[in-house]
Amino acid sequence: MLEIKNLHVEVAGQKILKGIDLTINAGEVHAIMGPNGSGKSTLSYAICGKDGYEVTEGSITYKGKNFLELEANERAAEGAFLGFQYPVEIPGVSNMNFLKTAVNSIRKYKGEDEMAPVEFLKLVRAKAAELEMDPEMLKRAVNVGFSGGEKKRNEMVQMAVLDPGFSVLDETDSGLDIDALRVVADGINRMRAPEKSILVITHYQRLLDYVVPDFVHVLADGKIVKSGDKSLAMELEKQGYGHLGIDENAA
Amino acid sequence: MTHKNHFDGSRYANDLTLAYSAPTGTDIDWLNEIRQKSMDAFVEVGLPGARVEEWKYTNLSSMNSKTYGVLEKAGELDAAIMAIIDDAYLDDIRGSKVVFIDGFYKAELSTIKGEDGLKLLSLNEYIKSQNGDAKTLLQSTHEVSSLANLNSALMTDGYVIQVKPNIKLSQPIQIIHVSGERSNLKALRNKNFIEVSENSSAQIIESFIGVDNVDNWKQDVTQIWVEKNAVLEIYQTQLQGNETIHMGETHIDVAEDADFKHYSLNIGAKNSRTEIKPTLNGLHGNVDLRGAFLGRGGNSHDVFTHMKHLVPECESDQIYRGVLDKGGKSAFQGKVYVAKDAQLTNAEQSNKNLLLDRDAEANSKPELLIYADDVKCAHGATVGELDAEALFYLKSRGLYLAAAKSLLVEAFIAEVYDDVAIPSVKEKYLGLARAWLD
Ligand SMILES: Nc1ncnc2c1ncn2[C@@H]1O[C@H](COP(=O)(O)OP(=O)(O)O)[C@@H](O)[C@H]1O
Ligand SMILES: [Mg+2]
Repeated sequence: MLEIKNLHVEVAGQKILKGIDLTINAGEVHAIMGPNGSGKSTLSYAICGKDGYEVTEGSITYKGKNFLELEANERAAEGAFLGFQYPVEIPGVSNMNFLKTAVNSIRKYKGEDEMAPVEFLKLVRAKAAELEMDPEMLKRAVNVGFSGGEKKRNEMVQMAVLDPGFSVLDETDSGLDIDALRVVADGINRMRAPEKSILVITHYQRLLDYVVPDFVHVLADGKIVKSGDKSLAMELEKQGYGHLGIDENAA
Repeated sequence: MTHKNHFDGSRYANDLTLAYSAPTGTDIDWLNEIRQKSMDAFVEVGLPGARVEEWKYTNLSSMNSKTYGVLEKAGELDAAIMAIIDDAYLDDIRGSKVVFIDGFYKAELSTIKGEDGLKLLSLNEYIKSQNGDAKTLLQSTHEVSSLANLNSALMTDGYVIQVKPNIKLSQPIQIIHVSGERSNLKALRNKNFIEVSENSSAQIIESFIGVDNVDNWKQDVTQIWVEKNAVLEIYQTQLQGNETIHMGETHIDVAEDADFKHYSLNIGAKNSRTEIKPTLNGLHGNVDLRGAFLGRGGNSHDVFTHMKHLVPECESDQIYRGVLDKGGKSAFQGKVYVAKDAQLTNAEQSNKNLLLDRDAEANSKPELLIYADDVKCAHGATVGELDAEALFYLKSRGLYLAAAKSLLVEAFIAEVYDDVAIPSVKEKYLGLARAWLD
């Protein structure tokens, strides 16, 4: 489904990713762990097409499409979703208007008609309820004045509404208390389906108790240094990165 | 300070002769005297040059080689003109409709709705029907600028709105100024008066529209009185043709407990210049100025405000937003004067500008002259670009780049029109901004 081969990425002339190989098949959940500065967010941006993240070598293919030829919005329309580590505040744009524009932009890309307003409203309300988000927040400007936890929850509402085929979730669990973590984890689990895949980036094994991954990879200094199943996450939790010969404070 | 050689004084002699007869159809001695005196005052100074601080961002030199003579009468109405009037007219507004073509009031296109306590008529009608009052009114203006003098000398029409005490107008008045083909190489000068008396309130929706490729000069000077405990709201939109020079100069006297709100949106014209000069001269007066200007492809927009706090305990608040795309240019100059005695003044001013292209320019110059010591005065001026992080966030959700930009620009402007009290006017502002973006 998603195939990353020998991916090299530079940011501002600096080599950050140094040859990543990663294949995520339909139905699979993968987790990436690694110390701060190892390149986890960079990988998520490269997959989703952020300007300034220059792919100097290698390839990213999604459902047979060469992602490197597509704009960020085209990648989203093809089914990729990025849950941001730091969701952006957009003053003056309401969550509702933002979501409606997003849904209809993707429909436009696919050559479909706009969603009927009533149907859209129902969809958004249902997804907000699933994620226990106060419907009043839908009227507010995107992420403006939201707490860290509310921002992460808002990311999950967006994911649920857009219903992507592939989601990369960048530290969606950080800054959440245990109740919020459970709500978010339920949201992620609802996205699990035989035709969908998910890449969870996390610092803590905690989330992986709720969202049990099929594979766990350890990223260090721009490379995947170890892969395994969920027991690898538990091993890291107990013994730390130093055990793998990785300097925690390398970045 | 100024250069009289900026223009050729003699060429206005003929204009003055035309103006003597143009507005009223009859020569009126006292009016001709005012015209002659104003012309003399103008000739003394000439057009403001770039060395005048208030005009440093506006280059009027292209006007020197043109005559922009007085137009004696309005052009014929054609389908194109009727269509743009229809576009500008808000048909859910039930108040009077006042239409000016090429600077002349057109009774056949206007609908004046009688309302108790409201006097609404063209300046020419006013002069004809009430000679004595008209003389007092025309002499009462205390303009100081050379351009205001030129306007007094050569104006051909205008409007007079008087609201008697204790009258709340039930519907907004719509005024539509149209300039057509006939105004090519002509100047269209109107002089307007609005008086909202004690305990009264009024709303005025004013549109300036015109056809493209007509090189004309539209110049309006408006004198406003908002008397004790009165409320006046003005909603302007400027969508002149691409070759028009548009100038609007408004002086407002704001009395005790009075409230004045002025909204504007500048989109059209080759050069637009909006001058708003409120004077707060009664306790607890309030002024809100809100405006946006959108420019590209040779548009240049100037907004000049001069807020004068002469007495204590008044408030003023200004919010201006500029969006400049390729080939667009703007200048905001916001002067706030707080007199020595005007303690407990609260004066705010914010001007933010967004550049959408490298070839775009925005100038912002707040100027605070504060002589009282116990005041709150805040101002902020910024020039920036669209937030790249926000653009990526929107694109990552599927928005095309153009849609993402539109959404962000719309949000940037929206604050200006947040508290517009008339829904269809608010929708018009946002709709025009959206259309400009697309
Ligand atoms: N926009 C940027 N400009 C310059 N350096 C960057 C930028 N983004 C990331 N980096 C650098 O790239 C490295 C990896 O960062 P990141 O991908 O955010 O790591 P992680 O998400 O694993 O903490 C760090 O050394 C960081 O300083
Ligand atoms: Mg990160």
